[in-house]
Amino acid sequence: MPRHEDVPDEPPPFLGTWKRVYLAVLIYLAALIGAFYAFTRAYR
Amino acid sequence: MKPADWAVLATALVSIVSYGLYRSRGSNTVDRYLLAGRTMPWYAMALSIMATQASAITFISTTGQAYVDGMRFVQFYFGLPIAMVIICATVVPLFHRTRVYTAYEYLENRFDSKTRSLASIVFLCQRGLSAGLTIYAPALVLSVILGWPERLTTSLVGAVVVMYTVTGGIKAVTWSDVQQMGIIVFGLIASLVTALALLPDSVSVFDAAYLAGVAGRLNAVTTHFDWQDRYNIWSGLLGGTFLFLAYFGCDQSQVQRYLTGRSIAQSRLSLIFNAVAKIPMQAFILFIGAMVFVFYLFAQPPLLFQRAELQRIQSRAEYPALASDYSRAFDRRKNAAVSIVESRHAGDSAQKERGIVEYRAAQRELDSTRARASRLVEQSGGEKGFNDTNYIFLSFVTQHLPVGIVGLVIAVILAATMSASSGEINSLATVTVIDIYRRHFRSGASDRHYLLASRWATAFWGVYAVCFAGFAGRLGPLIVAVNQVGSLFYGTLLGCFVLALGFRRVGGTAAFWGMLIGEAAILATAALTGISWLWYNVIGCVTVVAAALAITYAKPGEPVRKALSE
Repeated sequence: MPRHEDVPDEPPPFLGTWKRVYLAVLIYLAALIGAFYAFTRAYR
Repeated sequence: MKPADWAVLATALVSIVSYGLYRSRGSNTVDRYLLAGRTMPWYAMALSIMATQASAITFISTTGQAYVDGMRFVQFYFGLPIAMVIICATVVPLFHRTRVYTAYEYLENRFDSKTRSLASIVFLCQRGLSAGLTIYAPALVLSVILGWPERLTTSLVGAVVVMYTVTGGIKAVTWSDVQQMGIIVFGLIASLVTALALLPDSVSVFDAAYLAGVAGRLNAVTTHFDWQDRYNIWSGLLGGTFLFLAYFGCDQSQVQRYLTGRSIAQSRLSLIFNAVAKIPMQAFILFIGAMVFVFYLFAQPPLLFQRAELQRIQSRAEYPALASDYSRAFDRRKNAAVSIVESRHAGDSAQKERGIVEYRAAQRELDSTRARASRLVEQSGGEKGFNDTNYIFLSFVTQHLPVGIVGLVIAVILAATMSASSGEINSLATVTVIDIYRRHFRSGASDRHYLLASRWATAFWGVYAVCFAGFAGRLGPLIVAVNQVGSLFYGTLLGCFVLALGFRRVGGTAAFWGMLIGEAAILATAALTGISWLWYNVIGCVTVVAAALAITYAKPGEPVRKALSE
């Protein structure tokens, strides 16, 4: 049966907290989709 | 293949296996064999996750996809970063803290034994079916392009994978994946550079991109919504999120990669790396396909890329007229492409517009001739619904790339097959031993006993994959149906984990029946509607949750175990 271990939750090596890292990933995704959209418009 | 290609291929394969085995020394306990003693750094896990996900058919098929349909396939991956963020925030810390070997082990603690067993069996069915196809699909293409017997390719790949996976366990798999990923990236860059170098001197990279755009091959984003269209921004964001949540959160072949991390942070970083790198990598592969298309604007492509089928129709009376029409349409398209480039350089927009109109008309003529050739294949006793998309890239590689690069690209194909296959075999063995054998048949045995059982289970699944790959050759068009089998099961698994993490009132019996009802809903959707398979994950997950909630509220009083996260 699995045990409940006391595993520490370390902070990320950048941006201070994991919430900020997640937000950065989502902003990056939005920027990427925007870039792909612009790319599609530019080359059609 | 020239001797230099064979040398490159052999060097790549030997170095992959040797390095993997060297790094896997000391895998002498179950924990080290199945989870690398939970000591892996984030970058090794990150590359292993990426390599496991990228099978050979990904490269062969994705480039072909861009050639015929453009870059819009990239939208399929838009949900991946969202899924990674959700998984990092929820299941990664949970799995680490509960010290589980498999994702399904957690379900017993949260629900009960029958729910864990059902989830394990669903995984074994789904992943077991795809394990054979992972080896078979590239073997089929290599056999047609290079004339290698399918049996030889599947047996060779299978033997190498079984050897290092049985010997070194997950450490060998992970470190081999790192090597394989390096070869894959290097091979892809070499392919793109060579494709661009083969273009006529008067055509720059920007001209090539412009021509690809005119041909609709750079259509990375489509905003039009259609339930039956797999690749648009909406199906990518919503359907893709559900698919990747299921794949990275509930599929042991992926979960096991990040369970090997030395800490929660290391595991999270490996997934964040994939969230950031996966979309650009897929776009890069698709761009290679688009550039192969541009290359074939100036060098006549074969009427059919699958040589055996082309030979089949060459004896037909209709063939000479077909070949002549094809050559005429190609010349017309080539002249239009040259005209577009020249008018671009001269800044003559009126001439450019005329060139574009002429180019599109020639492309329609060319497509129509290829469609006639495909129908002729069917009429000549060939495959029904004939489609040679998967043969485009390898046909280009073997006929146009220089000596050495051909061997490298074949090494990429085999490396991708091995990385995907070893991950599957390793995870199938883990679920077999931990969730089935140790839980139901032999609990309380020594660590050495389970280590031996894990090695035997790995060997069994490896041999099974090779045997199933041999059988897959007789399935014919059914392969396409079997290949989509994953999407028939993921929604159910995802629904079960959503219940476990998000609905504390739901107990084991409700979750169990919810899974069965969800699976029935997916199968009914697949059999009775034309809805694209990307939506099955959403439908399955929502049905599992709704059914389990209905059962819970209709029949209150079932004892509910506390989630470990509480």
